[in-house]
Amino acid sequence: MTASSVTSQVSPPEPPDVDDHDDDHGGWWSDSPGWAKAVVAVGAVLILLLVGGLAGAVIGQRTAPTYAPAAGSVDVGFLQDMSVHHRQAIQMAVWERSNTTDPALRQLAFDIESSQTQQLGMMQGWLQLWEQRGETAPGQYMAWMGMPMPSMPGMATEADLQRLRASTGQPLDVEFLQLMLRHHEGGLHMMESAAAQASVPAVRTLATSMVTTQTAESQTMTQLLAARGAAPLPMN
Amino acid sequence: MAGARKRTSSAGRSAPKNRQVPWLLIGAIVVVLALIGGIGFFLFDRSAQISPWRPSQDNRDPSLAIPGIVLQAYEGQHHVTPEQRVAYDRTPPFGGPHDGYWAACNGQVYPQPVRNENMVHSLEHGAVWIAYDPARVQGAALDTLTAKVQGQNQMMMSPYPGLEQPISLQSWGHQLAVPDATDPRIDQFISSLRGNPNGVFPEVGASCDALGPGAFDPANPPPFEGQPYPRDALPMNYQGTSGAGGMGGAG
Repeated sequence: MTASSVTSQVSPPEPPDVDDHDDDHGGWWSDSPGWAKAVVAVGAVLILLLVGGLAGAVIGQRTAPTYAPAAGSVDVGFLQDMSVHHRQAIQMAVWERSNTTDPALRQLAFDIESSQTQQLGMMQGWLQLWEQRGETAPGQYMAWMGMPMPSMPGMATEADLQRLRASTGQPLDVEFLQLMLRHHEGGLHMMESAAAQASVPAVRTLATSMVTTQTAESQTMTQLLAARGAAPLPMN
Repeated sequence: MAGARKRTSSAGRSAPKNRQVPWLLIGAIVVVLALIGGIGFFLFDRSAQISPWRPSQDNRDPSLAIPGIVLQAYEGQHHVTPEQRVAYDRTPPFGGPHDGYWAACNGQVYPQPVRNENMVHSLEHGAVWIAYDPARVQGAALDTLTAKVQGQNQMMMSPYPGLEQPISLQSWGHQLAVPDATDPRIDQFISSLRGNPNGVFPEVGASCDALGPGAFDPANPPPFEGQPYPRDALPMNYQGTSGAGGMGGAG
């Protein structure tokens, strides 16, 4: 009844639906200056944008599986396989660095050892973040390329490694160069596949840099072998 | 009672209305201003965190935006022996054939000039090399540069006699000459290129450590030899280089 009495007196400027609730403050909105209305309107728009943005961010986070690739994906499969591949290269390079008498071969072996140790750390770190195991399950090598294999191309056998460790002097250098050259060339196809197909950009970038580095190192090792009168091994 | 108040106000419309404090309006304005301020700070803070000089998938080589940057493409992995020299096409060189032994680039501050052929190999490993003219960069300026290098992996610094500008920065395929040690482009260059994973230098993840005497000894590096290059210096077309022969054939 209060409201109606107000309405009767001030009815021309005030619509009836407003004064039903705002009788205490009168027409604060309609009485407000234009700039204040503008500020409040901008605020309303901002709140709407914020709510929309937050909702979008939450939905976006839910639908970004590329940053946690699943087991069996190209990313996980490549990192697991290449971890095994790199570990053996590091093993052979460490042996050569410690036992060669040729300073140039020592430098080459150290370069391979240190580069691949760094790359192994990156690969293991990503696998750990994605809660995947650090290496391929036995007999499942290259399954991510559509053909599970008991081993990977270029890998040295236990007999190869024993022959390497039993050698000294130039025969050791030749063994090392032959095994490492075959190792590099055997891994190339996997690296190229991952460089082209991995879903995570950082994995593609790493695989690309492996291709660049190892292609160049393979050329160097081919020349070093030739200079020692030895031929490369056939691919296994 | 509200009606009574209202009635009074409608009686003298302008004067008594001033007594009425519009708390709701004031509150709304305060909330909106706080919201604008908060969003503004958030955006500013975020833009400050996302450095335009940090390599990313969308910005693979941020150094391309640095005013004055000089670019030149080189092939990696072409080696010369410790006895050979290369007739480099740039001063200081920033790519091309190089010695099989890389110079230590694990934060090394060389007090003396170092042989070009070793330094170029370190660039292949992703190092940034700060070269300075010892006649024009001394004291506080030298301290400023030293602080950017010492203890920093993939950084190295050496005096370089006869530079055109007092300071020259090298990364594989990239060079930037600056007039003084406080130039903001120095940090932009380092942030953009040092250890950049996107293939702007040939050997990502390669080491900057040296193997010491018999290979490259940071305490006793091969001495710098300036221009003119000797008649038998190897050309920049990579002929006569490579690891063949085994003497300079490291990676």
